[in-house]
Amino acid sequence: MPARPSLKRVPRATFLGRAIAGNLGALIVGVKYFIDPNRITLLYPHEYIKLRQGYRGYIVLIFDKCISCASCARICPARAMKMVTMEVKDKKLNRAMKKKYPVINYNRCIFCGYCVDVCPTEALYHVPYHDLVYLNMQDMILNVEEFQKEPEFVTAKEGVPVTYVFDEKRGLVKVSVEESSNQGSSSQPAGGGGSS
Amino acid sequence: MITATRVLYDIGWGILHYIIFYPPVYQFVIIPGLVAALVVVIFIIWFERKAAARVQMRYGPLEISPRTGGAPQLIADLVRYMMQEIIVPSAVDFMSYILAPNMSMILSLLPMVAVPMTSIPSYWPIPMSYSLLIAVALSTLSPIFVVMMSWASNSKFSVLGGLRESFIVVAYELIAVISLLSVVPLLHTFDLVTIVDYQFSGRWLGLLNPLALLDAFIAVLMSTSGFPFEIPDSESELVAGPYTEYSGLLYGLNMGGAYIRRWAFSVLIALVFLGGWAPYRPEPGIVLGYLVPSLIVVVKAVIIMAIMSFLRAVYGRYRLDQALSLAWEVLIPIAIAAFGLSVFEAFIGVHP
Repeated sequence: MPARPSLKRVPRATFLGRAIAGNLGALIVGVKYFIDPNRITLLYPHEYIKLRQGYRGYIVLIFDKCISCASCARICPARAMKMVTMEVKDKKLNRAMKKKYPVINYNRCIFCGYCVDVCPTEALYHVPYHDLVYLNMQDMILNVEEFQKEPEFVTAKEGVPVTYVFDEKRGLVKVSVEESSNQGSSSQPAGGGGSS
Repeated sequence: MITATRVLYDIGWGILHYIIFYPPVYQFVIIPGLVAALVVVIFIIWFERKAAARVQMRYGPLEISPRTGGAPQLIADLVRYMMQEIIVPSAVDFMSYILAPNMSMILSLLPMVAVPMTSIPSYWPIPMSYSLLIAVALSTLSPIFVVMMSWASNSKFSVLGGLRESFIVVAYELIAVISLLSVVPLLHTFDLVTIVDYQFSGRWLGLLNPLALLDAFIAVLMSTSGFPFEIPDSESELVAGPYTEYSGLLYGLNMGGAYIRRWAFSVLIALVFLGGWAPYRPEPGIVLGYLVPSLIVVVKAVIIMAIMSFLRAVYGRYRLDQALSLAWEVLIPIAIAAFGLSVFEAFIGVHP
């Protein structure tokens, strides 16, 4: 059975009680936060949210593991992933042959991660960041060579990684990643979008 | 030949001595006047944004110079305002449309004429027997130009906004005048220098008559559209305010004019209720006689303005009817009670 919530009662019976208690309470809260601010705004290029492993960010192909089964292209709900035909040299048979490999179009990708889940040989994986900028829409359609490279995480060069921690007294508190790892298991990360 | 250079030298020295270094002039131009007002306004607007950001879990201006807390941001904003094109609608009354914001800005500094910054008579701008009355009377001039702006805009929404603004003008002028003048029956004088001299005893009038201080504080907030009463600005964000047709630097003048009026009122409150240059007795000489006491007054006035700016972080906006009912139903009775308190204290013999 849940505990009964206790409501804080403000003396609102008379006009004077209403005016004095309401205004003084608001002013005291304001002074408290003015002296000890709790800033939770993310200063984006100077700070960024450190996402944990398993976050469904950009997708990278490991070329050697791919067996051209096309499961990823078939399961893609946004039809962002397509198979393209390439001339490759087969190592076992030692002859040139045509195989199909996936490419991705980030104009369409919704980062659902079905392709990574369905891949039987784990040839696809996510990187734990998602905030990249392309100069034009044509650059967002990757070919097989570009699909194998991990995209460059430019924000990590400029900013410090932060994470949000829930504190009992102050609510949501922004701390840097080193501090949060020092605090151990007493604090649980509450932010970071859809970390899975 | 010698006489010609001599005459030119005399003229130049005369201009320097009687215009620029003439004490009442630099009282009006430098310390409580234009230069100090602009510096204080820039600082206060920056402080207002930073204080509200601290309370509301944001950062405030930071991008231009993070090490100084984004302090040059306001100069950048000023440059942007100056570059912006001033769009004059074809239907407006041109002369009054251009003149009204400028006149409002100038007249909001005008109470400084009657404000003494030291007790040495050679540094007073005018003789000081009725200075409090003159300052309060001059401070009531500039709100007329808000109504004039709305009329010159020749738009029915602006006229409505100006009408609503004039409701507030009528409401707060009475409160400000009564509460600032409620020290008069206590001390039997309109002279600001005598009022400050009385407070050297440690009995600041803000402590003797806290009701009047509170009332004057709220009336100043209302008059300069400080935060709970920011009604003309909020209506301009819709299309119903008195400044709707204004753009660019002319709109910036309206905003800056409100802050300068708040500065003038804050100096007045610091002199009347918070002791002026009270812990320090002016001595002869320009530094000891004028600069130090005026800096003490400036610090007190800046603290008052900072408290007023801090309220932006806490309160929400009032509607017009809420502001008016607060003025007519609560503040004017408090003002009359403050007047009565002064009379009572004079009766039991607090006054010198």
